[in-house]
Amino acid sequence: MRTKLCTTAVGLAGALLLTAGCSGATSGSGGATVDPAKLKLTDTTPKATGAATTVNWIVEQEPASLDMDAQGGSSTRTVMANICERLLLLRPDMTTTPRLAKKAEYTGDKKLVITLRDDVTFHDGAKMTADDVVWSLKRHARPEMNESDEYEDVDTIAKTGPSEVTVTFKKPSALFTKALAGDAGIIMEREAVEKQGDDFGTPGHPDACTGPYRLKSWNSGSSLTIERYADYWDKSVRPLTKEVVFRWASGSALVNSVSTGAADGAYLTATGPAAVLSKKKGIRAYYGQSTTAWSLSPTKSGALKDARLRKALSLAMDRKGIAKSGFNGLAEPWATPVGPGAWGYEKAAFQKAQKDLEHNGAYTASPSSDDIARAKKLVEQAGAPGEPIIVSSDGSESQTVITNAVRGAAQKIGLKVTVKTIASSRYDEFFSDPKSRDGFDLIPVDWYISKADPAGFYDNGITGNSNNWLGYSDKGYDALVGKAQQTIDDRERAELVIDAQKKFADDAVWIPLVQVPSVMVLGDKYTGPPASMVSMYYPWAADLGTKKG
Amino acid sequence: MIRGLPRRIAGLLATLLAASFVIFAAVYAAPGDPAVLLSGSRQELTPEKLAAVRAEHHLDDPLVVQYGRWLWDGLQGDLGRSFQYRDHVADLIGARLPTTLELVAYATVFFVVLGVGSGVLAALRRGWVDSAVVGGTTLAASVPAFVAAIALVSLFGVRLGWFPVTGQGEGLTGRLHHLTLPAFALALSALAVISRVTRQAMAEAYASDHVEAARASGQTERQIVVRHVLRNALGPIVTMCGLVMAGMLAGTVVVETAFGLSGVGSLLVSAITTHDFPVTQAVLLLMVIGYVVVTTLVDLVHPLIDPRVAPGGTPGRKPEGKTA
Repeated sequence: MRTKLCTTAVGLAGALLLTAGCSGATSGSGGATVDPAKLKLTDTTPKATGAATTVNWIVEQEPASLDMDAQGGSSTRTVMANICERLLLLRPDMTTTPRLAKKAEYTGDKKLVITLRDDVTFHDGAKMTADDVVWSLKRHARPEMNESDEYEDVDTIAKTGPSEVTVTFKKPSALFTKALAGDAGIIMEREAVEKQGDDFGTPGHPDACTGPYRLKSWNSGSSLTIERYADYWDKSVRPLTKEVVFRWASGSALVNSVSTGAADGAYLTATGPAAVLSKKKGIRAYYGQSTTAWSLSPTKSGALKDARLRKALSLAMDRKGIAKSGFNGLAEPWATPVGPGAWGYEKAAFQKAQKDLEHNGAYTASPSSDDIARAKKLVEQAGAPGEPIIVSSDGSESQTVITNAVRGAAQKIGLKVTVKTIASSRYDEFFSDPKSRDGFDLIPVDWYISKADPAGFYDNGITGNSNNWLGYSDKGYDALVGKAQQTIDDRERAELVIDAQKKFADDAVWIPLVQVPSVMVLGDKYTGPPASMVSMYYPWAADLGTKKG
Repeated sequence: MIRGLPRRIAGLLATLLAASFVIFAAVYAAPGDPAVLLSGSRQELTPEKLAAVRAEHHLDDPLVVQYGRWLWDGLQGDLGRSFQYRDHVADLIGARLPTTLELVAYATVFFVVLGVGSGVLAALRRGWVDSAVVGGTTLAASVPAFVAAIALVSLFGVRLGWFPVTGQGEGLTGRLHHLTLPAFALALSALAVISRVTRQAMAEAYASDHVEAARASGQTERQIVVRHVLRNALGPIVTMCGLVMAGMLAGTVVVETAFGLSGVGSLLVSAITTHDFPVTQAVLLLMVIGYVVVTTLVDLVHPLIDPRVAPGGTPGRKPEGKTA
C-alpha cells in the first residue's frame, strides 16, 4: 500500500482535507488517521451537469428481494431508492417534504389526512389512485411485513375522496409521517403486484413503482440494471445518467473494484474500505450524516445493573481512541446512541443538547485524570463486584477495538473484564432471543434508525421494550418518551426528546461511544449524489452525472 | 461393466439419501435462528412477528417432518424458495452453477496441462530440472488458495491491470479474461499434487520389466516413453485428476469470495451465514452429487485406460485374474 504525503495541503485544507486531492495522507490503517474532530460531513456533492450513459455501482450484497415489504437491507434500499417513491420524501439534509402526497396533515390528534397528487403514474403507465395508496399502506401494515411496527398505532386506513386517504390512530402518533418518508410510505401498483403473486420481487419480474428509474434487468448472481424512466411523471426531474449497473462485492473485492475503476462508486457501511479507498488516486470519498452510532448495551445479568458502575465505566472510556483505531478515524466520539442524521427537525436544539451532554454527565471523549478519579469514586461507592464483567465480541475489527477499550477503561478504575468472543450468527441472536444474552453483561451494538427523528430510538429504553436488555424501568422516562411520540408539534416533541435523552444519559441505560458517518466513494469523473444516509430512501441516481457537460 | 451398473446406481442413490439426511440434520442443528433473518432488521423484531414467521415457514415442525416435506418436494423437482432471496432455489442455483462449473473446468485445464506436463518433465529430465519441479511444486502446494488469490489480484489485477479483479465477465473472451486468475489460484495446489503423482507414476513405469524388454527389443526412447511409460502411468494420473476435480467442485468458496464471483460456493457461504436452510441444503447436496458422480465416472473410465484394472476390482490386479 502506498501512502502519499501531502503535509502542506493537509495543513491548508484543514477541515476540507477529506475531499482534497491529497486524500492519501488523511486516513488509513497503520498510517496517519483522520482527526475525528475535523471530519467534515457533507449532505451532498457538487451538482452534476454532464450526461453519463452507464455508471457502474457497487453494493455490499446482492439484493435479496426487491419486494421491500419482505426484505430490507441497506443494499436493496440503495438500489430501490431510485425505483420506488414514498408519500413523503426524505431530503439529503434529512428533512422531509411531500412527494407522492401533495400534503399530509393531522386534522386532529388521531387523524391524518393525506392528499395525493393527481399526475403520478406507475412504470407501466397506469395512474396512481387512492386505492393503490390504501392497498399499499395496508400491505405494509400486515404483521409479517418489514414495516408493520410503524403501523402499531394505526386504527384505520381508508379512501375518503378521489385523491384523499385518511389514516386514523388508536393514540396520537407523531412518528408516522416520518415513517411515510421511509419504506413504510412506498406506494406500489396493486394490480401489478397481485398479478405477480409470490414471484413479485424476484429476478425476471418488473417493479411496480413510480420513481425516476425503473428496473431493467436482474441477472441473479451477477448484476442488476436500472434505467431512466422516459415517461417519469415529474418533468422537473431530469436524470443525467441513463443506466446504473449494480454489482456486489465486499471487503477486498469491493476495494479492488473501485480502485481499478471497474466500479464508479459505492455507498459504504464499513469504514475499513473507505479508509483505504480515500487514499487512491482518481477516487473521492465523501462523508455524510447518518443515524448510526456504536454503543455498549448492558444487560441485567451482571454487576452493571448498578447505574454507578455503568457511569464509572462510561467516564473511563477512551472514545477518541476507539474512533481512531477501530474506525480509521472516520468515526466521532458521541454522547448519544443515535447519530446526527436523526436530527430531521429542530437541529440546533438537538445539537446543543448533544454538546451539553459532553460537558456534564457520564460522557467524555477521552478521560482526564479528574474523570478517572470520579469514576473510581463511583466504583468505591458501589463496591467493585467480585465477578468480572463479561463483554461479548464477534471478532470484527470494530468490536475487537471496542472490547479492548472496555478492558482498558475497567482496569483503570478497578473493575475486572473478561472478553468472550462469539460467532457473528450468535451475535445476531442477541437481538431476538433474551436467553442468548445470558452470561453476557455488556454487548457492543451498532444501531441506526430509519427515521430522521431521535424519538424513534428512545422507546428502546422504556419499561418492557424488547431492546431494553438492562430491564431499565423509570416511570418518568416512560412518560416522557410516550408523550414525545404522541406530540405532533416538532418543537414541543424535540424538547421532550431532549429531556428523555438526558435521563437516558444520566442513568447510562446504554453507554454511547461513537457515531459513524455514511460514506460514499465516487470516481473523479462523477458528481451529484448525496453523501448522507438518505441514499437508502432518496432517488440519488437522479442527481448523478459527470462533472462537465 | 454393464452388469455392475444397477448395483452402482443403487449405491449412488443410497449414498445421496444418507447424505441428504445428514446435511438436512446438520443444517437444522446449526446454531442460529432463521426466523431472525426472515423478520427483517433488528429494530423490528418482536416475539409476535418471530412466531408469525416461524409458522409461515413451518420452522416449528419436528426435524423428521421438515425433512420428509423437503424430500417429497425435492423428488418432485421443487427445492423450495430461498428464505433470503424469496426466489426459487433451483433458479438461484441455475444462475450461479455455470460460473462455478466453468471455473472448475478452467482450473482443471490448468492443473492437468501444467501438472502432468511438469510431472512428465521431471520424470524425463532427472537432475536439476527434476529438483526445480519438485521444489516449485512443494512451494505451490504449501500456498493456500486464498493467499494465492490475494497475491494474484494485487499483482496482475490492481498493480499491472492485466486482469479484472471481480465479476465473471460476459461472452467467451470476457469469461476467459475474468476467470483466468481465479482458475489459476484454484489450480495451484492441485497442480502440485498432479505433478508429483505423474512424476511418481512415470518413475514406477520406467522401472517395470516390460520397459526393460522394450528397450532390449531396440525401440527408440521416444517410442518407449509414449507407448509404455506414459500409457502405464496414465491410470493413477487420471484417477488423481478426477478426484482433485471432484474435490474442487466443493472447494471454490474461497476463490469465489476473493474474486467477487457469484458462484455456487459464495451462494453457499451466504446461505450458511444467514441460515437460509433451503439453499444450504440444496447446494450441499449438489456438491455431494457432483463429487459422487465424478468419482463414479473415474471408476468407470479407469478400466478403459488400463485394461489391467477389472471393473469394480482393485486397481493393479493382473489381467489373468479377471473373472469375466
